[in-house]
Amino acid sequence: MAPSRLRPLPGLLLTLTVLAELAAVVLSWRLEPAYDTLLNVVFSCAFAGTGFLILSRHPRHVIGWLLLAVGVENALALDLAQGYGLRAAAEGWPGGPVAEAIVMAGWLPQAPAFVLIVLLFPTDRLPGRRWWLVVWMSVLGVALAEPGWVLNPLSGGEYAAGPNPYAVEGPLPDVLFVIGFTLTATALLTAFVGALVRFRRSIGVERQQLKWFALSTGVLVVIAAPALVFWEATPVVPLLAAVCLTVWPVTIGIAVLRYRLYDVDLVLSRTFTYLMLTVVLAVVYAAAVVVLGAVVGRDEAWVTAGATLLAAASFKLLHRRVQDRVDRRFRPERHRALSVVAAFTERLRHDQAEPEGVVDALRDAMGDPELELRFVLQPGEPPVDTHGRPATGPDAPGRERYPVLRGWTVLAEVVWSPSEERRALLGSVVAAADLPIEMARLRVELRRRLDEVAESRSRLAAVADQERRRIERDLHDGAQQRLVSIGLALRHAQHQLGADADEAKATLDEAVVEISAAIEDLRELAHGLRPALLQAGLGPALRDLASRSPVPVEVSATTDRFAPDVEAAAYFVASEGLTNAVKHARADQVVLQVARQNSTLVVSVADDGVGGAAVERGSGLTGLSDRVAARGGRLRIESARGHGTTLIAELPCAS
Amino acid sequence: MRVVIAEDQVLLREGLARLFADGGHQVVSTLGDAATVAEVVDQEKPDLVVLDIRMPPTYTDEGARAAREIKDRHPEIGVLLLSQHIETTHAVDLVGRPGFGYLLKDRVLEVEEFLQTAGRVAAGGSALDPTVVGKLVAPAAGSPLARLSDRERRVLELMAEGLTNTAISHRLVLSERTVEAHVRHVLLKLDIPENDEGNRRVLAVLTHLREMHDWS
Repeated sequence: MAPSRLRPLPGLLLTLTVLAELAAVVLSWRLEPAYDTLLNVVFSCAFAGTGFLILSRHPRHVIGWLLLAVGVENALALDLAQGYGLRAAAEGWPGGPVAEAIVMAGWLPQAPAFVLIVLLFPTDRLPGRRWWLVVWMSVLGVALAEPGWVLNPLSGGEYAAGPNPYAVEGPLPDVLFVIGFTLTATALLTAFVGALVRFRRSIGVERQQLKWFALSTGVLVVIAAPALVFWEATPVVPLLAAVCLTVWPVTIGIAVLRYRLYDVDLVLSRTFTYLMLTVVLAVVYAAAVVVLGAVVGRDEAWVTAGATLLAAASFKLLHRRVQDRVDRRFRPERHRALSVVAAFTERLRHDQAEPEGVVDALRDAMGDPELELRFVLQPGEPPVDTHGRPATGPDAPGRERYPVLRGWTVLAEVVWSPSEERRALLGSVVAAADLPIEMARLRVELRRRLDEVAESRSRLAAVADQERRRIERDLHDGAQQRLVSIGLALRHAQHQLGADADEAKATLDEAVVEISAAIEDLRELAHGLRPALLQAGLGPALRDLASRSPVPVEVSATTDRFAPDVEAAAYFVASEGLTNAVKHARADQVVLQVARQNSTLVVSVADDGVGGAAVERGSGLTGLSDRVAARGGRLRIESARGHGTTLIAELPCAS
Repeated sequence: MRVVIAEDQVLLREGLARLFADGGHQVVSTLGDAATVAEVVDQEKPDLVVLDIRMPPTYTDEGARAAREIKDRHPEIGVLLLSQHIETTHAVDLVGRPGFGYLLKDRVLEVEEFLQTAGRVAAGGSALDPTVVGKLVAPAAGSPLARLSDRERRVLELMAEGLTNTAISHRLVLSERTVEAHVRHVLLKLDIPENDEGNRRVLAVLTHLREMHDWS
């Protein structure tokens, strides 16, 4: 049969079930306990509804058809027939006993369906070929038990009129029923063994599905078995049974449709936690009643109050521990993941970890070494990694993004490759790590701002350097040359005046002397802006500097060349250090050293003066410190009073 | 004296040309850059070439490179390199060759001295700017230069500038014999082997001073 032709069928059967149940409720109203009526309605609708849902997604799913069939059969053969039988007996309608006989025959055929469901779940295939035997055994059992039951005089109690009108005297019905029922029951139990075998072999999704199945079956057995015994004790018992019976097909539907499949671990863990708590608290309560009763006597109010208090106190105490234990057993993945995050947070609190380490903690917790944490610093801007670098390029296939939120603000996103089992875990793990994530984000933001400031400072310094070079060139090539030309012109005029004009020649001499002085001034000025000797390298420039110092200076300089701005900065450190040594330190001897250490240019100016200098104190040193910092370097001063001053600048120089 | 001048600034170039003309010398060619200097020198075979270090197109060391080329091709032609400030890299390795001089530009304003120096270079002598010499002979701590008397240091400076004993005696208004005595003392104190007059002496002095200063 093509699925397209089958498509309306599940819907029709579900409608049929609902209509049959409506009719059954109307017919049997007030003729039997309302529990029985409603219980059956719920049962039929739960089975038919779940079957319908499964078939609407997977039209060929056998379990869906089986559930639907059980629902329809239950509604027609049991409820509708029962209602008609009861009403017929009450109102004197015809065909009452026939309807009642249908009811008698109706429940047994469900057994092979259950056997099949248990064996087929969840893959729609039997665990093995041999398991067909179990199915046929149940069919055979039903075929034998059915006449044994319908024709048995003992089942007459079910008829409104009293005795079974179709009873056959003799031992045959009993024999048939006992043999058939035993076969059927054995088949059903064997089917559960089959499910157990399947569970032990299962992995991944199938295992999760079977866990759902085990959960509801377990609850059904735990609750339904005692319920059969205490059916009449209190109305709560059949109600509980109804809930369990409804839950059973619903969990099958959940498992087959794979809807929130992985929540089963949570449900299982919670169920077990509360089950264990209930047992423990009951024991605590009972023990308290006994002990308190013996101690304070038979004052019941006191004893009850005390025991209740104790149980309540124990609950708070026990709940977390039991939950933790159960989690460890039932949700080991989750327990491990959260422990990893908790351990990291603890180390962070004790200053044993950096907030950026949260990425590694998340990778470890989620078992995804490729997991990335990207911080959203500004909405709309591309997110950045822990180094503040923007994430570029499209995500690799299979990678998913998970936003880390505070309120409605996206703080960060986790980019990872989720697996079925771990997808549900990420939310809890991220929630547990939200504080470290936010700390890391703030640090990234701070670092980026600082980088921006450093960059702009370095740009400004570079611009200033460039400007200085330009002015220096302008002074040398412009003003100075022009003055030399004027001086030459004056000399020429002097020459033209001849031998007679002594006064005019003297005036011109003075003018030329003035011009020479102006040229000298300009040269000094240009030198202060940027020593021309730096073109020849730090060595010549520093030796020149030393030669103009009134204090003896010992120079040792590398012959390596560096970027112009690095050389300029080194030169000015030396120059300023030398000036300070002469002006403030009252030094007799200065040692000036410039050396490369790996990718750092180290400039040191050491004097034997009075010491006691500090960066904060002299504005000259502050300016120098800024100048060094602008190139990403560091300025240090070692200046103990009475032990001289050593100025050390470390300038990064890419080699 | 036949002179070729290469200087990019027009006013200065004309001023220099006039200065040489006023001094009775013949300026055979004036150039605005160093590109054709070597060619012009090949043709004209002047006695002296005056070059600015920084000239177009890059304003770095065009003049110095041209100077080296000329000295290599015509060792007998005097080359006088002018600079706005001291640039040792280009100058120092040429200093000490016969017929080479290196001066700051504003020395031209002392016309008499400048023309004398130019004449000395054209005649195969040496000339080194007093500023450079001053740096070289500045006494560093523990240096043998510290052992020189003021007068001896002055004599050393003039030796390094390229002056002969006679010129030194004129400059310092001393007798030639006194100057000779000073020179001997200087060479002795600096441990420089005594040599004959002229360029070789300048060379020896400069080499010694350079080594002392580790001047690259």
